[in-house]
Amino acid sequence: MSKEQKTPAVEVRGMSKRFKLNWRRGVLLALENLDMTVQQGEIFGLLGPNGSGKSTTMKCLLGLVKPTEGSAKILGYDSGSIEARNQVGFLPENPYFPSFLNGYEVLSYYGGLSGITGKKLKERSDELLELVSLKHAAYRPLRTYSKGMLQRIGLAQALLHDPKVLFLDEPTAGVDPIGSRQMRDLMLKLRDEGKTVVFSSHLLEQVEEVSDRVIILHQGLKLCEGTLDELLEVPDAIEIQVDDVDQASEDEIRQVLEKAGIGQVEIRRPRLSLEKFFIKKVVR
Amino acid sequence: MDGFSGILLRITTIAKNTLIESLRQRVLLVLLLFGVGLTVASFYFTQFTFEDEFRFLKDIGSASISITGLLVAMIGAAQLIPAEIERRTIYTVLSKPVGRFEFLLGKYLGLFSLLTIMLVLMSMMFACVLLVKETVEVREVMVQASSGVPSEQQLEMINDIKAQSRDEGVFQALILIWMRLALVAGIAVTLSTMATSTVFIVFTTLVIYFIGHLQATAREVWLEQGTGGVFETSLLAVVSLLIPDFQSYSIIDEILAGNSVSWNYVFEIAGYSVCYAAIILAIGGLIFKEREL
Repeated sequence: MSKEQKTPAVEVRGMSKRFKLNWRRGVLLALENLDMTVQQGEIFGLLGPNGSGKSTTMKCLLGLVKPTEGSAKILGYDSGSIEARNQVGFLPENPYFPSFLNGYEVLSYYGGLSGITGKKLKERSDELLELVSLKHAAYRPLRTYSKGMLQRIGLAQALLHDPKVLFLDEPTAGVDPIGSRQMRDLMLKLRDEGKTVVFSSHLLEQVEEVSDRVIILHQGLKLCEGTLDELLEVPDAIEIQVDDVDQASEDEIRQVLEKAGIGQVEIRRPRLSLEKFFIKKVVR
Repeated sequence: MDGFSGILLRITTIAKNTLIESLRQRVLLVLLLFGVGLTVASFYFTQFTFEDEFRFLKDIGSASISITGLLVAMIGAAQLIPAEIERRTIYTVLSKPVGRFEFLLGKYLGLFSLLTIMLVLMSMMFACVLLVKETVEVREVMVQASSGVPSEQQLEMINDIKAQSRDEGVFQALILIWMRLALVAGIAVTLSTMATSTVFIVFTTLVIYFIGHLQATAREVWLEQGTGGVFETSLLAVVSLLIPDFQSYSIIDEILAGNSVSWNYVFEIAGYSVCYAAIILAIGGLIFKEREL
């Protein structure tokens, strides 16, 4: 493993952020002594209710606000520095792009900001529009885009300069289940390509589906951090799913388990989540 | 793309986008109103001598260009940064390897390009109106000429009409109006780096504009006539340091009144405007660098 691969994608140490309120109304504590590590190639979920510090964490990592205390590094570079920003792509919550621009023009604007022009920009734009399934709408003005399409063009602009780390703030907020599924598929695809994805969301089922590790914040404090198995596993219990079981077989299984002296046995029919059921019905 | 060419690319990209956005918001429709208003005005004043008519026309034209430009400069500049923050586009831009000063300068240059385009178009309309007026006036003189050949006195009159309509001073005045717009836009853009309310920014820019106009008068009363005490003198020193002297542009009125001014003096004021705008934008850049978004 090379030195670069060992460097965490994101490393936050003792980071606090306090906002001074106007007219001597005191100080708002947005983050308190946060420690957080995201390894390269992970999908990392930032969880927490509104006002828990998720967006502030992202803004500190992007250099949009300065931490009051502590430090944050992106692939070893100080967060907010030009070197660090060369390594990151960002999709804010409900991104806005001028509605008169079309897909190509949006990418051309952000390409200029990332130092990509000419033939390289055209090739990269084509590649990304293909990736986010917007090639068919590339010449349409953004005012005709659905919310899911806007999120996807937002993701394309974030990926334009081929960053290694992606920050996505509520990438599926306000998007229908199909758009939301497309976004999650893209996140998985990007991880498979070796990118690190740090995202925040309120939709816990979605976070559970894609995240390798999560952190839970509440009122600016870290409550826990770890892999989903570490956090969600119920100790001393197992779950078995068997197909084609009739009532007689079910009774027999129950009797065997009871004879073995196992305390509480719960046998139930597995159910699809409503979201999976919806997607199964709608996407044929 | 690194180094100077990278910086230049980022600044021009932001400036271009700002300009396109303003143009698509149909700001230039204001120009149509300007053109129609000026044309109507040019044919309204017909009961005076041609010298007076041209002077009225020049006064109205330059005042309209100034006011339209100042409105677009102040309102446009006041929205540059707050609108980016409100729409959250600033987050996507500044999360790219774009420096905050590059962003500020790009936004300013976009607005400045819009003001320049507006000023050029309005000046062209103004020039057309002056030329039409010239043609009408010359034709009137020719009608009076017996057998179609103008007398020496009539020839002199035609030359006077042409001198009025093709006055070099108008060009000088337009350059100074352009420079004043650049400075006002710079002040409003700098204010927008620290405030979020458009109304506050426009109001504060106006206050600075008026103080800038009054400081020369205060200087004359308090310093030159010796009526000011220590407080007044100190206040004046602080104001002179912080606020540009907008009274310098009163030379525009002098030029339009028919007094000739050397090109050197025009360039001196233009240089003052550019330097002041650069300093004020540098201050804006320092404030914006520290701003939390």
